[in-house]
Amino acid sequence: MDNVSLLNSRQKSTRIAATVFLSPVILLMLIYIIYPIFSTFEISLNEWNGISANKVFVGLENWKTLVKDEVFWKAFLNNIILMVCSILLQMPLAVALATFLDAGGKKVNIYKVAWFLPLLMSSVAIGFLFSYALATTGGIVTTISQAFGGGKVDLLGRAPQALYAVIFVVAWQYTPFYMIYFLAGYSNISIDIYEATIIDGATRGQYFRHVALPLLRPVIYTACILSLIGSLKYFDLIYVMTGGGPGTATDLMATYMYKMSFKTFRMGYGSTVAAGMFVLVTGIALVIQRLLKVRDSVDG
Amino acid sequence: MRLTKVFSLLLAIVMVLALVAGCGEKVAPAADPKTPAKTEEPAPKKDDAAPVESTVTEDGKLKAPDKDMKIVLWDIATAEPAVTIQPAAVERFKAAYPNIEVDNTHIQNDTYKEKLVIAMSSGQCPDMYIHWTGGPMNEYIDSGFGVPITDLMENYCDVPFLEAALAQCTYKGDIYAVPYGGLSGSGVYYNKKIFTELGLSVPQTIGELEAACETLKSNGYIPFALANQSKWTGSMYFMYLATRFGGVDEFNKAVAGTGSFESEAFEFAGNKIQEWVRAGYFPEGVNSLSPDDGQDRQLMYTEEAAMMLHGTWQSGAMKGDNEEWYLDSIDYFAFPKLEGSTANQNIVVGTSVGNAFSFNTGDDEDLRRACFVLATQFYNDDTYNQMQIESGGLPSIEGMGDTLTDTTMQKVWADFSSATNVQLWYDQYLPPEVSEVHKSTSQEIFGLTKTPAEANKELQAALEKYLAK
Repeated sequence: MDNVSLLNSRQKSTRIAATVFLSPVILLMLIYIIYPIFSTFEISLNEWNGISANKVFVGLENWKTLVKDEVFWKAFLNNIILMVCSILLQMPLAVALATFLDAGGKKVNIYKVAWFLPLLMSSVAIGFLFSYALATTGGIVTTISQAFGGGKVDLLGRAPQALYAVIFVVAWQYTPFYMIYFLAGYSNISIDIYEATIIDGATRGQYFRHVALPLLRPVIYTACILSLIGSLKYFDLIYVMTGGGPGTATDLMATYMYKMSFKTFRMGYGSTVAAGMFVLVTGIALVIQRLLKVRDSVDG
Repeated sequence: MRLTKVFSLLLAIVMVLALVAGCGEKVAPAADPKTPAKTEEPAPKKDDAAPVESTVTEDGKLKAPDKDMKIVLWDIATAEPAVTIQPAAVERFKAAYPNIEVDNTHIQNDTYKEKLVIAMSSGQCPDMYIHWTGGPMNEYIDSGFGVPITDLMENYCDVPFLEAALAQCTYKGDIYAVPYGGLSGSGVYYNKKIFTELGLSVPQTIGELEAACETLKSNGYIPFALANQSKWTGSMYFMYLATRFGGVDEFNKAVAGTGSFESEAFEFAGNKIQEWVRAGYFPEGVNSLSPDDGQDRQLMYTEEAAMMLHGTWQSGAMKGDNEEWYLDSIDYFAFPKLEGSTANQNIVVGTSVGNAFSFNTGDDEDLRRACFVLATQFYNDDTYNQMQIESGGLPSIEGMGDTLTDTTMQKVWADFSSATNVQLWYDQYLPPEVSEVHKSTSQEIFGLTKTPAEANKELQAALEKYLAK
């Protein structure tokens, strides 16, 4: 009997502690995440300029516009391009860098620091930095091209190269994040496994291909999901470097949403774009996650 | 057990509330972003507003109330010369009325409009705020964030504002704003040394302008310095060409819904621009050069480019960067005329009101009066205007033209002397959602990614959608 009541009281105190410690977070999440999401959907059903007291309920009118809105789908396509390129560019690069750092040990610590630096800079600063570096007048690429007798290279002022130029900068900024992520993955692989493989006569390359990579797979999957979601809701470098231009050629869903909500006083439609984005991002993330899980269980 | 659960939940809520309260006022309204300011009652009607008492005036001049109060004032005075001139006006006001506190926030120009919208939607709209009149001003007023000041303007304003300026501050028959940033036009700055070197004279017609461009081009100069990342810079070419072809009416009719942006004038403007782009009259990468960083002026400074169609505020900017060079090399001419056009060829594209203040004072009559006194008697006083002119500004006030010494500014003033001569900036005048489309399509015209017909069709569609509302 005593035992039971001890267990009881322990459970009780755990519950109390959990409630006390979790409720502030839950409350903050309710206020700053859950409520705005619902509110976004609610606003998306209205015609509203964002500041006026009278919101006009228009039902699904905004959603109908969204479905037919070419600029939005163009922006969505840009997001998809950004997503695919980011994953294809950043993941292999990050794995390579992490492998190098893992194999190099303490000797290469300096690279660890150097490669991590881009992630520490603010996106806006990076945006400005590369706007100058890629500028048509006096930029790095133009200067090199002119040194070899070529003309000026307009990277940011034309579609589609503007989008790819930004994708390159995004990769420059975020590869270090995944590098650190994979490095942590490496540190989870026991040294015993490495030693056993080498004793069994495997080369370093074989170890990487047949042992390390499969063990890193869950980490890589998670990284891909992170990159995917990040790419689909990406905003900052595009906003700073091209402003969605020329025209709307490099607009992403998020920059389009921002323009609609704050520049054109169409908060109702801006909210529809945001809500549409929420639906698309959640949908794609769920589908991809499901696909990866299925593959994982088949492979494993 | 249930009791303790409830108790712990309560405790947690109290903790969070304490946390939120600790963050101050900022957090509370954000939690309910969709409720606009409750205090924004409709502005008082003219007849029951401003009971004129003797305590209101002194020597016939309106004075601010005696009681303690606070004005929350937002402006964009973050750079020279505004950062010297404007806060000085506020200081003079505070010295004259020690009972009134002015909470003056200077906001970066680029982000100002968004910040203002967010402040309005969260019920924190400042009492007095800068805007550029036009479409956005109308939007603010329609939403209840501006009170009419027609009565005060008519009875207590000593400043003889230009009629065109007041007209621009008027919406639905009432004056809603006080101009303070001066007027600005646009025209072509050119490097007179390069022109002399190549034996070019100031082009009077667009044909002559094109001939000059050809000469410049064949001598290795970029004819026009243009940085079009911000889109409104390239829009100036579009506006001028359309206006030279069809006059102000063409635009006014299009906006009123009786004309169309698909008309000949706009088609002409778009085609001309693309012709010039193809001929290489603009710098390579024109759509990625940023005017905010002065990349257009830089092309003038390095003397790679010979001309720059731009706002007249560029005089001050270039003078500030290198006065000696500016006086030595730079002159100004009005945008050339179009041969054979029947439209008024002297129209200048610009604005009579650079900046204006509107008052979001609800039904607080005292606060409205205080703001008005600050805006008309301290901004716009002699000291203020003098400082404006010295830094290359041009107050929107009668008689200011006589005091000008800068020849460029004299030319601008002459252009503005008749109100019918002004074509307002499209992007300032149009409703924001149409304006954004115009800027975007104009940029695509420069990028050759849309034909003028496609671009104008898109603009017309956006306008029709707006008019249908």
